Amino acid sequence: MAKMTLEELRSLRDTKKKEMTQRDSGGKSAQIIIGMGTCGIAAGAKEAFDAFLDELNSHDVKDTRITQTGCMGLCFSEPTVEVAVPGMPRVIYGNVDGKVARRIVKEHIIGKALVSDHIFDKPAADIIK
Amino acid sequence: MHATICDLITDLVQNSIEACATDIKLNVEETKTNLNVVIADNGKGMSTAVLEKAKDPFYSDGQKHKHRRVGLGLPFLFQTAEMTGGNAAIKSTEGVGTTVTFQFDPANVDLPMFGNFTMAAVTLMTYGFEGNLTIERSVDGAGYSISKMEVLDALGDLNDTENLILLKNYMASQEEEIKVL
Repeated sequence: MAKMTLEELRSLRDTKKKEMTQRDSGGKSAQIIIGMGTCGIAAGAKEAFDAFLDELNSHDVKDTRITQTGCMGLCFSEPTVEVAVPGMPRVIYGNVDGKVARRIVKEHIIGKALVSDHIFDKPAADIIK
Repeated sequence: MHATICDLITDLVQNSIEACATDIKLNVEETKTNLNVVIADNGKGMSTAVLEKAKDPFYSDGQKHKHRRVGLGLPFLFQTAEMTGGNAAIKSTEGVGTTVTFQFDPANVDLPMFGNFTMAAVTLMTYGFEGNLTIERSVDGAGYSISKMEVLDALGDLNDTENLILLKNYMASQEEEIKVL
């Protein structure tokens, strides 16, 4: 890959934007929230983040937002990731390595089925209070 | 300690974000004999007493999580320095900001791998905070610099997946350029 300039980055964005306005996305977007505290980082949250980007890109899934948060209080099951897909319950997944991240994209975000063997239902009580 | 130097850097820059900094400078310079990192912020800073306590893994100011009694970010840094014969220092002035610096020896066998700087930069640039983050990066004299404001100006919404992918490609191309040389 040749070194990209900010100008090239801008024009790529504009091309994508044009494609986006031509597409009828229905306006419903899924949200992925990755726990990026010391615990998440240590457990490999960046690898999960990278896998999400790669898998969403390779399946051409556009209407998804990825945000980051700190520790969700589930340090024993990091990396933890919260996924909200319109029309489905919000869930927190634990032990999300690259492989599980790819499964979440394929099964949950595209297939609309929960990845049951990695679900934790909500953040630890002392964090949400 | 953290598994990679990039994980350590991510953790330390997040400290600056959590200290309400609006301007953070991250300088990562690699040469054959030295790895030199500076993280300077204009956040709320710490008093001398708090700064001493912050080096203790069993200290946390208790504001983020009321019941937590640990804070491992800075202790991981000092542990890594101690175990690999490197240097780490932190200077802070209350109300002015904090500067963390460290120098590690890349040849030390106990030093964690450097890790993936592209993803570290992507996560830090897109971590939800209002301020600016400027990254200065060089390997053996070849380098680049990029700021969050420039990225924001070029891409807009930094949580949109498509923009994240573009940013990742952009950062990867910068990294590739300096690693090839």
